[in-house]
Amino acid sequence: MSTKAVVTEELTRRYGYRVALRKVSLDFSLNGIQGLFGSNGAGKTTLMRVISTLLRPHGGTISVMGFDPQEEPEEVKRRIGLVGDKPLLYEELTGLENLRFYSKLYGLETQFFENQIEHLAPRFAIKSWLEEPVKNLSTGLKKRLDIVRSLIHNPELLLLDEPFSGLDKDTTSDFREYLEEYRDKRTTIVTTHNLAFGANLCDEYVTLRKGIVVAQGPIAEFDQSL
Amino acid sequence: MTSGLGAALTIAKKDILIQFRKKFEAFSMFLFALIAVLAFSFALVTDGSVPQDVGSAMLWVIIFFTGMFGFAPIFLSESETGTLRGLATAPIPAWSVYLGKVVYGFILMGMVEIFLVPIISVLFGFSFMNDIPLLLAMMCVGTLDLAAVGSMASALTMPSESKATVFPLVYFPTATSGLMLLIEITKIIVIGPGLIPVMLIFGILLAHLIAMLTLSASVFHFALSP
Repeated sequence: MSTKAVVTEELTRRYGYRVALRKVSLDFSLNGIQGLFGSNGAGKTTLMRVISTLLRPHGGTISVMGFDPQEEPEEVKRRIGLVGDKPLLYEELTGLENLRFYSKLYGLETQFFENQIEHLAPRFAIKSWLEEPVKNLSTGLKKRLDIVRSLIHNPELLLLDEPFSGLDKDTTSDFREYLEEYRDKRTTIVTTHNLAFGANLCDEYVTLRKGIVVAQGPIAEFDQSL
Repeated sequence: MTSGLGAALTIAKKDILIQFRKKFEAFSMFLFALIAVLAFSFALVTDGSVPQDVGSAMLWVIIFFTGMFGFAPIFLSESETGTLRGLATAPIPAWSVYLGKVVYGFILMGMVEIFLVPIISVLFGFSFMNDIPLLLAMMCVGTLDLAAVGSMASALTMPSESKATVFPLVYFPTATSGLMLLIEITKIIVIGPGLIPVMLIFGILLAHLIAMLTLSASVFHFALSP
């Protein structure tokens, strides 16, 4: 069993002629909250998409939870939960229908699904909103529901791409509390350009700039000037 | 664990539920089909009926163009709302997403056809019911063929900026060969046997469907990458 959640070696990804990731070599340890820092256009979202199998790299290698996303994408997908900028929810369906739909795609047993709802819905204060169509929910409630969606299959690796943007204070606080509670049981990779917030939350960090790793290590060694 | 087929049915069921709640897209398909039938019947009916070969062609031309309303948004709506990422990161084979959309397209068009065929029969003054088993087999295989082509065309259109132009450019040429076979079989049902045995044409149509499904399903993982 690998002690690393994600390992990349000289990972390269281009969009046309623009290089988004340039020979990126990094690793994220298993368990704990790992920060992926950098300003806009640094390559954070591209790296998250490569980790989550949404994008294929153009060079180098990557291993996610011990699996190659190109060779065994379904093994990787089964182990990850993804929260991005947009909630991955269907507006016409209710919250519960959305969660049930994803639970079926993940092949969850009905009992496990119901237990997860019992555990997660009160935790993120969406229990009373589950029967409501998503289109009637506020942006904050949609985000809460999307977080529950990403956790419904109890992923080993949680990928959070700017998860706190657009969240109110209460949701941010609830979510943060939840992440900290699971710090020792799950690996969470968080991208943020809010370095002070990231430094306060994470155990380890990687800083990207223009697709290149400029610093990485334990958060105690984090230097915001980089 | 969900099988690919199970995932396809889950996706199709979700899309049908959304369609029932949205209503607008299905309504616009019904409306277009009805207006087209009325227009053709006013223009072509002489002495109480339309020439049978012309009527056979008209049936499929109307279905073909009605399909544009139904098939074009199949992937576009998922792409625009971002939910395609939810499907792409679920641990299911890419082909199951495609197959789910084909099944959905088939059911959607099937509902239009159930309403369309009797109206055309009445207004055009002839019956398609001379050979009911052949009619049912032709409608099923023909609609599945159009849904297979339409779904792939919708997927290929996703990255384009000129979606309204690109969709017909992909859909028309790939669907036309199947369309000609369908018109030929319908003529045989309505008029009677021609020089070419009907089973030969039906076999070619079936081969066209299998080729479209196999080809599209095998390359569909490329369409799921942003």
